[in-house]
Amino acid sequence: MNARTGTVMGGALHDHRHGLVGWSIAVALAATMYTVFYPSIGVTKFEVMLDTMPAFARVMGFDAIVSASGYVGATVYSLLGALLVLVCAISLGARLIAGDEEAGTLELDFAAPVPRIRVYLERLAVLWLTVLVLVLSITTTLLILSVMLDLGLAPMKLVATSGGLLLFGGGLGTVAYAVGAATGRRSTGIAAASSLATVAYLFNYLSPLIDAPWMETCSPFSWYIGHEPLLNGFDPGGLALLAALAVVVGVAGWVPFRRRDLMV
Amino acid sequence: MTPAIRTVGLVKDYGKVRALDGLDLEVESGQVFGFLGPNGAGKSTTIRLLLDLLRPTAGTVEVLGQSPREGGPALRARIGYLPGELGLPSRKTAGEYLYYLARLRGGRGAERIDDLAKRFGLQLDRPLRALSKGNKQKVTIVQAFMHDPELLVLDEPTSSLDPLLQMEFRRLVDEAKERRATVFLSSHVLAEVEEIAGSVAIVRAGRIVDVDDVGALRERAGQDVLLRFASPIDASELRGVPGLTDLVVDGVTVTCRMHGEPGPLLAVAARHHVVRWQAKDRDLEDLFMEFYRDVVPVGVDPVDRPGTGTEGDR
Repeated sequence: MNARTGTVMGGALHDHRHGLVGWSIAVALAATMYTVFYPSIGVTKFEVMLDTMPAFARVMGFDAIVSASGYVGATVYSLLGALLVLVCAISLGARLIAGDEEAGTLELDFAAPVPRIRVYLERLAVLWLTVLVLVLSITTTLLILSVMLDLGLAPMKLVATSGGLLLFGGGLGTVAYAVGAATGRRSTGIAAASSLATVAYLFNYLSPLIDAPWMETCSPFSWYIGHEPLLNGFDPGGLALLAALAVVVGVAGWVPFRRRDLMV
Repeated sequence: MTPAIRTVGLVKDYGKVRALDGLDLEVESGQVFGFLGPNGAGKSTTIRLLLDLLRPTAGTVEVLGQSPREGGPALRARIGYLPGELGLPSRKTAGEYLYYLARLRGGRGAERIDDLAKRFGLQLDRPLRALSKGNKQKVTIVQAFMHDPELLVLDEPTSSLDPLLQMEFRRLVDEAKERRATVFLSSHVLAEVEEIAGSVAIVRAGRIVDVDDVGALRERAGQDVLLRFASPIDASELRGVPGLTDLVVDGVTVTCRMHGEPGPLLAVAARHHVVRWQAKDRDLEDLFMEFYRDVVPVGVDPVDRPGTGTEGDR
């Protein structure tokens, strides 16, 4: 008799259920705070602000914020919303194998008649499900606010951007997860993923400033938001690169995890 | 008949530290087998190799006739495991966790959770983080026994239980024995295994240094006895008592080490007015020092697990 598919996932979700609710509320609040702020500032004030801004600020993308789409893209999706999703995904990713293993709470899961690959895949599914819930929370909040405040955000473009955020957050969470699973060290997983996130973010903004297009080419943050999907819609290339990152890293984490000693 | 557990020349290194150094062990099927050794001797490392949590550096392991690696989930389904040091998921209740573990076994054992919890007085609706050490131990006992496994691998199962629960635990082991299951349990205290185990193996610094039945070991270990009399006693009276060593007579107080049955010593003592009698099982650590000083080269300390300081019982 074998465990039904999803048993491991259900157990892990149950353990992290409070966190999931907390984070969903946090990202919804962040999205709300930024968005309700937009009409009160008004388009004209932004234009005045822009005139006084140095060229540097324009390069940073602040000039796009005059439209509601530009504003939401530059704030919720590029700043706090993305940051919260990343922090949640990376910390959860590092905890799901490495953290729980260090705490000793995975010992009986590993000793149970469940193949190691299923522990790996089902716990990884918990990570992606969590990121999906957060992204849905942001997206729904924005859709509702767009109607209520008459912001005119295009639903399909919103979905395109959210799809990018899902793959970006999930991908970096997968880095933390895979490195944690490969090493058994939660801190190593967090360090690897947050370094990558920082470099990705810096590359995206430095690239136009120092005229180094290769930086954008290899920055997952650019893959996610570089094409401004909230203005331009789906960016299949960027989404494919993000998906590939997640798959490659996920497989790369499994190879050592499959062979290594557990609970040491 | 296939032995329940068989290791040949088993070696396990953690980086540069050698935890097991050619461990040869054979546990016959249907036995209750004690695995004794001081902290850091390699007991938990051996046990984790049986569960495929660790992979051997060299040598072979066979559990119920299969290598743990190849046996995989199907083999682990036939084993009940009680870890020596377990972290419990703090956000689950005892019941939620036990039913979850049963689901990991395809539902096997779920029907016995209530009954076993009652026997050990475990409240299933309490969150795991609120449980005392003893109560946590009850959770691990229930999950190890609930699916009636063919082989029970128990790492220091009774270390936090009060005497009453130790008795209940012994009953569980007896029941397992009746249905011909094999029980392999580790301890660093001889007293903990002597009442349940038939045979014991003693491990030190990653090697088996002795395999014996419990009675013989106990006899060799002996007890430290203290006697106090109402009036001073003549030492020569005690010198002839068989099985006595390290005799010290200091006025009314007598201390000695007693091997074997206490009858002869009691007979001599009873001729006088005894005001105090104390007999203490000797520490296994002392026994190791005494019997294996020559076997184990001086300066070889118990091998520690990397990163855990002194608690190196892996």
